[in-house]
Amino acid sequence: MTAPPLTPAPQAAPMDPGSAAPARGNRGLGRVRTALTRPTTLLAAGVLVILAILVVSPLLGLLNTTLAADSRSAWTDVFASRMSANLLWRPLGNSLLMGTATAVLSTLVGGFLAWVVVMTRLPGRAVLGVLATIPFALPSFALALAWDAVFRNDLIGGSTGILMNMGVPVPDWLAWGPVPVAVTLTAHYFSLSFMLIAAALASVNGDLLEAAEMTGASRFRVARDIALPVVAPAVVSGALLAFAEGVSNFVTPALLGLPVRFHTLSTRLYGAITTGDVARGYVLSLVLIVVAALVMFASSRAGGRRSFATITGKGGRSRAVDLGGWSWPVGALAWAVILCTTILPGIVLVLSSLVRRTNDFSSGFTLHYWIGGSDPALAQGQRGILTNPQILDATWNTVLLGVSVAIGAGVLGLLISYVLTRSRGPRWLLGSMSAVSFVPFLIPGIALGAAFIAQFGAPVGPFPSLYGTFAILVLAGIAATIPFSVRAATSALSQVSKDVEESAVMAGAGLFRRLGAIIAPLTARGLFTGGVLVFVQMVRDLSLVVLLATPAMPVLAVLTYQYSSENFTQLANAVTVVIAVISVAATILARRLEGAAQPWSASR
Amino acid sequence: MSPDAPTASLTLSQLRKDFGSAAAVDGISLSVPAGAFLVLLGPSGCGKTTTLRMLAGLESPTGGEIRFGDRVIACGDGSVDVPPSQREAGLVFQSYALWPHKTVRANIEWPLTVAGWDRRARRERVDEVLDMVAIAPLADRYPGEISGGQQQRVAIARMIAPRPAMLLFDEPLSNLDAKLRVDTRSELMRIHRATGATSVYVTHDQVEAMTMATHIALMNDGRIEQFGTPRELLDEPATAFAATFIGTPPANIVRCRAVAGRLVAGGTDCGPAPQGLSDGGEPEARVSAMYRAESLRLETAVHGSADRPMSGTGRLPAVFADQVPMADRWVVGVQLEDGTRVSVTRGAPVELRVGDPLLLVLPDAPDAVFDATGRVHEATAQVQGTVAR
Repeated sequence: MTAPPLTPAPQAAPMDPGSAAPARGNRGLGRVRTALTRPTTLLAAGVLVILAILVVSPLLGLLNTTLAADSRSAWTDVFASRMSANLLWRPLGNSLLMGTATAVLSTLVGGFLAWVVVMTRLPGRAVLGVLATIPFALPSFALALAWDAVFRNDLIGGSTGILMNMGVPVPDWLAWGPVPVAVTLTAHYFSLSFMLIAAALASVNGDLLEAAEMTGASRFRVARDIALPVVAPAVVSGALLAFAEGVSNFVTPALLGLPVRFHTLSTRLYGAITTGDVARGYVLSLVLIVVAALVMFASSRAGGRRSFATITGKGGRSRAVDLGGWSWPVGALAWAVILCTTILPGIVLVLSSLVRRTNDFSSGFTLHYWIGGSDPALAQGQRGILTNPQILDATWNTVLLGVSVAIGAGVLGLLISYVLTRSRGPRWLLGSMSAVSFVPFLIPGIALGAAFIAQFGAPVGPFPSLYGTFAILVLAGIAATIPFSVRAATSALSQVSKDVEESAVMAGAGLFRRLGAIIAPLTARGLFTGGVLVFVQMVRDLSLVVLLATPAMPVLAVLTYQYSSENFTQLANAVTVVIAVISVAATILARRLEGAAQPWSASR
Repeated sequence: MSPDAPTASLTLSQLRKDFGSAAAVDGISLSVPAGAFLVLLGPSGCGKTTTLRMLAGLESPTGGEIRFGDRVIACGDGSVDVPPSQREAGLVFQSYALWPHKTVRANIEWPLTVAGWDRRARRERVDEVLDMVAIAPLADRYPGEISGGQQQRVAIARMIAPRPAMLLFDEPLSNLDAKLRVDTRSELMRIHRATGATSVYVTHDQVEAMTMATHIALMNDGRIEQFGTPRELLDEPATAFAATFIGTPPANIVRCRAVAGRLVAGGTDCGPAPQGLSDGGEPEARVSAMYRAESLRLETAVHGSADRPMSGTGRLPAVFADQVPMADRWVVGVQLEDGTRVSVTRGAPVELRVGDPLLLVLPDAPDAVFDATGRVHEATAQVQGTVAR
């Protein structure tokens, strides 16, 4: 034979017993040593420390404050005293009622629109689909303010709404309390159910249904056995999300419920903290966190594992139900919903910022509230918002806050998701990191704000109190948006195959060089899109910052709330329009970027 | 071409990789000299890719050790685990794993930048390897703008640019179409010769292994079934698994019992059993008789004919399944009564329809016999070994 020399080692040959014995003794130690010095392990530990400071410590601070000797009575005050009914039980009942109403109505409205957009041939359904997602990009107080502008009656004095000014009487139940709160919450959150259900329906549409019909099953049977199970998780998880938002929303009950003493947990805890009843406010925050967390946790269970909607991006050819004679009423209803939730509120907000006398179109129009100087005859001498240094200050703060949080949360989210998906750290480390980064998703914004005051509102060791600083706003913003940025980073990272990174390992690039030269450029677009969404979330958010912002450190959303409470309706609405423009513009920018080609992915 | 890094022999000793309680690589040992082309061959899930990744340094072994020349580069107890970049190894991924945001030139150049080469040396080397794999005109394209075969060449150029002493290939041809695969095979062998580096190549395709390897480690279930030269694996299969995995067409296995010194398949006497088979004390031993495709003949079965029995000594009833031309011969596939598929080579195609009965005519003795555990029976192995030489 002419084969090259060969030295086959016998397979069953035992290793030299003399060398095997000590090797076995060192095995555990050697492995631990290499694991500890691995840069990914250090990265994981560092990220976990940041998460502990941002997420765990505020919650512990909140709990700890209520357990201090002088605050412990707050627990009995809230749960078992003569005040309990007013402080806890009735607001809790109202919160649950609003949550349930929001969940049911959002699912009906969102589900209906999703069906119309995905499953029918109604003309203009593509436009409907775009418009149906807009309410979610708007601040939730926009709809409450619009409602206020239209339906406000003379129950609590001050100026009245458009209808009253036109001579149409508005009953109290329509102007204030549970009905307007539930309806405006629904008008905001149905978008969420719409997006989830539409995505699920789109995935079931086409091939999947055709495959089922090939078996000879009836249409009803196909709908029951194939379509419904696929869509059900989206319906349930949309409903639970809407429930949790309805339970914990602050601004809507504050604007439309407080005047008639319709309290929810959020308004109660806000009232307690801002009037100095801090300990009781913290206890209520904890109650709110527990209620919301239970629901959000259930929703993540319902939607998480069986997310059929994301299995494939290709729906195949879409099939459509021909509505025949029903297309007119169905179309009219769909457009009416969109008209009332998206178009009319927008028009009302813009117009009502332009009228001379609040909500009175017969009083004539003016640009005073936008660009006017100080005039004692109008709004107690407040300047127009574009000439008001406080507003300009707040706009700058708000944009800077949005950008800082987007960058901070984006970087942190990328690091967390990198550690979670790419490193082979110890199981307990990854498990706890994954859990902690999910926690803020369970916490209502206003309660998280309260927790940040509890933890960082007083000096901690060498660190000064952060209350009233820009830093506390940024830190709270990052903490609140971690779950979203981790999700955005994870989906961006999943676009970068493991091989692509390992080939950089083979080239000898260290962890941070790989992150900088390979991972970051390839995930940049996904991260940027995620960052824009975080930016929008911060710009339109009120509940997180309402407790944290101070007159010295104003942000737009809080100013709107203050103007509205002080009855400067035009100013409040004008600022809301500014916020809405920033939010919607940023959202559109994000969508454009998603579709834009990158140099290396351009077609030939 | 300037000289590459000094290449060296490669030795694996009792190498293992456990994921939890499952052993992906279950203690394998082998050694090849410097400049060898070692192919890790086996079905999917046999541990060949995990072995390659341990060589590259992308996985750490949980037992045993890897030596490159005299240098230990990984040790199962964690005491030694040389980082990938210091192993002087280059890897071509199955997916090529080109960096999509870098041009072809930048893909090849970046590893040199990381390694700290100066600008001029980088330029020269990149131009050199671009010419070597004949993709110079594509230098400024992005990977997404070139064909699969061209991407493959970029991946190879990127691997050899830093002059590695060990070339690692993870099923590099599996994403190419059949014709391109054949062309690229010879291209890879040319590059192996040009660099002189010790190469390790993972594949499930025995034709690739037989064409390119100086050494083949045939793997199954995390263990090495057989290690040797391509000729040795073909001529002297050590196990029934090896016999059925190697060769075009692979050898046939007929399941038999050894009864009273005879081999019996179904109800048919297949000739004398080799010495010492039923010595285990059992009256019957289950064995596998190996017949090469060229050792077998086919006879048309004639129904109801009295002078020619349907079957008899050395004649197994079968049905016709398919046939395909190969070089100047035809490979005819038939199915035995127990469902076993058998390939027979002959000079002319058969005129039969699928399902038609025929007889498989066995030679006087099988080419090899494997015992119940699948290991070759020594008596037949020696006979067969001398025949092969």
